Amino acid sequence: MDLIEINHLKTYFYQNKGFLSKLFGEGLKTIHAVDDVSLTIKKGRTFGLVGESGCGKSTLGQSIFRLVKAQSGEILFQGQDVLQMDPKTLMAFRQQAQLIFQDQYGCMNPRMTVGQIIAEPLMMREKGKIDNQSLFDEVIRLLQAVNLDPESATKFPNEFSGGQARRIGVARAIALTPVFIMADEPTSGLDISTAATILNLMQDLQDKLNITYLWVSHNLNQVKYMSDDMAVMYLGKIVEMGQTKDIFREMAHPYTKALISAVPQVSINQQKETIFLEGEIPSPIHPPSGCRFRTRCPQVMKRCKTHEPALIDLGSGHLCACHLHTVNQETNN
Amino acid sequence: MNKENPLLEVSNLTLDYRLGKKRMRALDRVSFQLEKGEILGVAGESGCGKSTLGLSIIKLLPKIAEIKRGEILFEGRDLLNTSENDMNRKIRGQKISMIFQNPQNALNPVFTIGKQMTDILRAQSKYKNKKMRSSRFFRDQAIGRLKSTGIADPSARLSNYPYEFSGGMKQRVMIGMALSSGTSLLLADEATTALDVTIEAQINRLISDLAAQYGTSVLYVSHNLGVLAELADRIMIMYAGRIFEMGTTTDVFDSPSHPYSAALLESLPSRQARGKRLLSIPGIVPPLDNLPQGCSFHPRCKFAEDICKREVPPLEQVTDGHFSACFLDNKRGRKRLKWI
Repeated sequence: MDLIEINHLKTYFYQNKGFLSKLFGEGLKTIHAVDDVSLTIKKGRTFGLVGESGCGKSTLGQSIFRLVKAQSGEILFQGQDVLQMDPKTLMAFRQQAQLIFQDQYGCMNPRMTVGQIIAEPLMMREKGKIDNQSLFDEVIRLLQAVNLDPESATKFPNEFSGGQARRIGVARAIALTPVFIMADEPTSGLDISTAATILNLMQDLQDKLNITYLWVSHNLNQVKYMSDDMAVMYLGKIVEMGQTKDIFREMAHPYTKALISAVPQVSINQQKETIFLEGEIPSPIHPPSGCRFRTRCPQVMKRCKTHEPALIDLGSGHLCACHLHTVNQETNN
Repeated sequence: MNKENPLLEVSNLTLDYRLGKKRMRALDRVSFQLEKGEILGVAGESGCGKSTLGLSIIKLLPKIAEIKRGEILFEGRDLLNTSENDMNRKIRGQKISMIFQNPQNALNPVFTIGKQMTDILRAQSKYKNKKMRSSRFFRDQAIGRLKSTGIADPSARLSNYPYEFSGGMKQRVMIGMALSSGTSLLLADEATTALDVTIEAQINRLISDLAAQYGTSVLYVSHNLGVLAELADRIMIMYAGRIFEMGTTTDVFDSPSHPYSAALLESLPSRQARGKRLLSIPGIVPPLDNLPQGCSFHPRCKFAEDICKREVPPLEQVTDGHFSACFLDNKRGRKRLKWI
């Protein structure tokens, strides 16, 4: 069953260039952060979203929560369009969908104890009509669920290490028993063993509470390990999407191939050919015409400059937007 | 390779950080050698002393650091007894260079890239041969260095400011400043941690290409085991200021001898199938001012025995060129360590 269905979502940002350039008619610059993205996230599964920095993966996630304003398109959450929700339904939606941010210290008030931080969403939901004892019990239960000491409730955020801070973030996210959690780079900056603890914890919670995850990360090893389905984004567009095992077995898009080949692997015996991409990701203000990857693509063709490739199905829900495959299909037909 | 005279020889380096009355042992009897042209990878969790090691070689330690014992021999010269003046004139930026994790912080935002590069070249030339050179000479040198790091249109790029460069390009500039024909040792401290994988691959290729071209040795500090596996000839695993294991990359990653190295490898998601649990080492890295008795890893180690609680295991040779600091090695023979 589909929990979230995104259709033709577009999120643009506008960069104001100031008075003089306006006067001389340069006007607004449009940053195409998310450009016509459609995807579905199935219930109880983990959807991995990968791409380099600036590809729009975080913006896509934030658009789902209406933290940034989407230009057009629709985001159906259990059949209801998030973009059209009135404030009251939006509140209800945000109880069912939660976020775990990359900078965990940045999203905790340093003057509140961890107990207060975790209790806050509960108090908001009950609108103050909850007695202290049951609130306290609930906070302790949540802390234990993420393997933290109950005594942590009286401590302040600065007393915790990076890994513990992430767990507080997880505890706060599951406080309202959400059905959907978006985790934005949940283990970046953590040591190997600490990251493993967080990954184990999140898997346990998924098994126990049947939570759906949107796993935003640039760490492909992790996405391969954590996610059932995945999408690869490049410059605001999805270039490849499908089941994780299919994509890792048979990468269809040249960008996916390069991205996966660039991930450093510890297994030395496994011979691996790294595909080096030249240059860097172009500016999303003036994305290249046609296929956006053509400026760095090792297999670029003439038509990539003029025609934008559509996402086509290569079989069993494995989608890819590349002319290498559209050409094959046309000749087959 | 000249086995008798390694480029860098660190022996018994012991270093404390003083904070008020607290003394934290950041490095404890660290000894290793680095041959000419070799890339040595240093891995470990945060706080294990891997960055301190790099800083102590180029002598850029903060004031609270105090070297208790040990010796750092670089091309036969004792660095710890080299004066600050000589370090600046002869060593730093000439023989030994360092690149840092965050190139943004290492470049001055109010000067152009060209100004910053020529300043360094000018200073180096002044120390070296005391001859006056024209600005044009330094400009051409800077262009040559930018070109060697693969920056397109280097002469136009010289008049750009750091903010006009992307993260990967700034790191290229840093490498261009650091590496020249005279550099014999490059210290890279998490040089690609802040970069995307595709850019990371580019930068690491650049480092290994330039190192091969100039015959430079590299001490590459990283917490990313994958990067080290692909780049380094030898690996050193550190924990709480000590070397736990050292050997060729194949030895350490394919048949780790120390339980800690084995544990690190088992916590990597890349080595596990979907749905399988990852290893998370119980407990936390001990605070450096309160290290446990005996082997500092024993409270977290699955294989710990009585002797580990009493005595500190010395770094001993397991097989040729493969060293490990664990009491269990002798007993266990070459059996594979399994945590899960």
